[in-house]
Amino acid sequence: MSRLAGVGVVAVVALLVGFILADQVRSQLLTPSNQVARYQALVRSVQDLEASNAGSRRQIADLRAQIDALESDAAARSATTQALRSQVSDLRAHAGLVAMHGPGVEVLLRNGVPGANSGGGTGYLVNFQDVQDVVNLLFAQGAEAVAVNGRRITPLSSFSGSEGQIVIDQGPPVTSPVKLDAIGDRNRMVAALDDPSALPGVRARQVQFQLHLTFEGLPDVSLPAYDSSLQIPNVAAS
Amino acid sequence: MSRRPRPRRAPLRVRGLSVWLIALLVAFVATVQIRSQAEVERSLVGVDATSLAFLIDDLHSANDTLASEKADLTRLRASLQSGQTGAADQALTDEAQRLRAIEGLVPVQGPGVVMQIDARGLTALDLEDALNNFMAAHAEAIDVNDHRVVTGVAVEQTSEGVTVGGAVVAAPWTISVIGDSARLAQVAELMSQQLRADRRVRTATYRTATDIVISSVLSEKPFVYAIPS
Repeated sequence: MSRLAGVGVVAVVALLVGFILADQVRSQLLTPSNQVARYQALVRSVQDLEASNAGSRRQIADLRAQIDALESDAAARSATTQALRSQVSDLRAHAGLVAMHGPGVEVLLRNGVPGANSGGGTGYLVNFQDVQDVVNLLFAQGAEAVAVNGRRITPLSSFSGSEGQIVIDQGPPVTSPVKLDAIGDRNRMVAALDDPSALPGVRARQVQFQLHLTFEGLPDVSLPAYDSSLQIPNVAAS
Repeated sequence: MSRRPRPRRAPLRVRGLSVWLIALLVAFVATVQIRSQAEVERSLVGVDATSLAFLIDDLHSANDTLASEKADLTRLRASLQSGQTGAADQALTDEAQRLRAIEGLVPVQGPGVVMQIDARGLTALDLEDALNNFMAAHAEAIDVNDHRVVTGVAVEQTSEGVTVGGAVVAAPWTISVIGDSARLAQVAELMSQQLRADRRVRTATYRTATDIVISSVLSEKPFVYAIPS
């Protein structure tokens, strides 16, 4: 009996030693634990804000669909309203407010690997300028509609971000892999993407950091409608 | 003489098992502790606290803008649901006017900034970046040397120089931007400072104005490939 108790004591002591050991290792591996707690708090804030952002964008899409249905009902009762609605439908399509499909291309950008001599730089990461350059190239080749990771580009769209995070309009940041879809003349867009003189920034980093750029023409590409704000409170027709 | 019986020792196998059990427990506890911490670290790889703080600021601002859009759309829906005579026509007319301005199809005016850049050797990428900087500051209408620009208008480098929507825009560049003039001025100030440090740039100045008129317009292009889903 006393032998069993002895073994129990040894087990409890070993357990305690294990805890203390683990805690010691942890506190040495990880720089000040309150710093980690601060990180966690920041990450939680980002996650909460992103969830709220996604919820708002869903609601905006729903509201636009409801408004469209109400306008459709009104148009069924009036020829004037019908004519106005037809004009607005076309304008909405050009502004990116309507889901579209058609032939086009799919472009994929993916982070490379940090180079030995990169000096801690972030050249191996896909950045917002890369995305901006590809979008500009696609539009220059006649793209009629473009989306980046499912976020539709509008006439007011902008790109920003830092260190591999790409912010487009009011959406949460997107990171590698970044998928760009464009509707238009796929042969023309593929030829432009294939041109070695195009996208010099991306091509240089393809060599240096194995940044990944692939693309293919597709018979049917589907793009969602824009689901964020298109307000212009400071502009008046002149 | 009778001998006290020796207490029976636990069999060797049982003792060995106890030691292994204890060792296993210690290893398990240590592994759980270290792994849980490693997972926290892994989720934060590549994102420093400063970047997270900027991200939070951006998301707050984006969510405010989305909330404002939701409020506008909710009001519009209520107006349409009320069934008031002409409510749908008014809503459609207003939206058509707004979308034409957004797409650059009509002349517009409003507050903003006018930036002038005189330089030799600036490329399409320089102009593209400058325009994107203004767009990121919520520019609502932009004109470069009397050429209307929206996202989707190609800025290209050609043998004749920089082109905007296929038209050559030679230096000096005058970039007129309508939007929140305070916000646009901040961006213009930063860009001016950076440009002045660039050897190719002779001058880079800007001024804010309460009423900038942009008369240039884009022509509407019909879709050839894209079909509404």
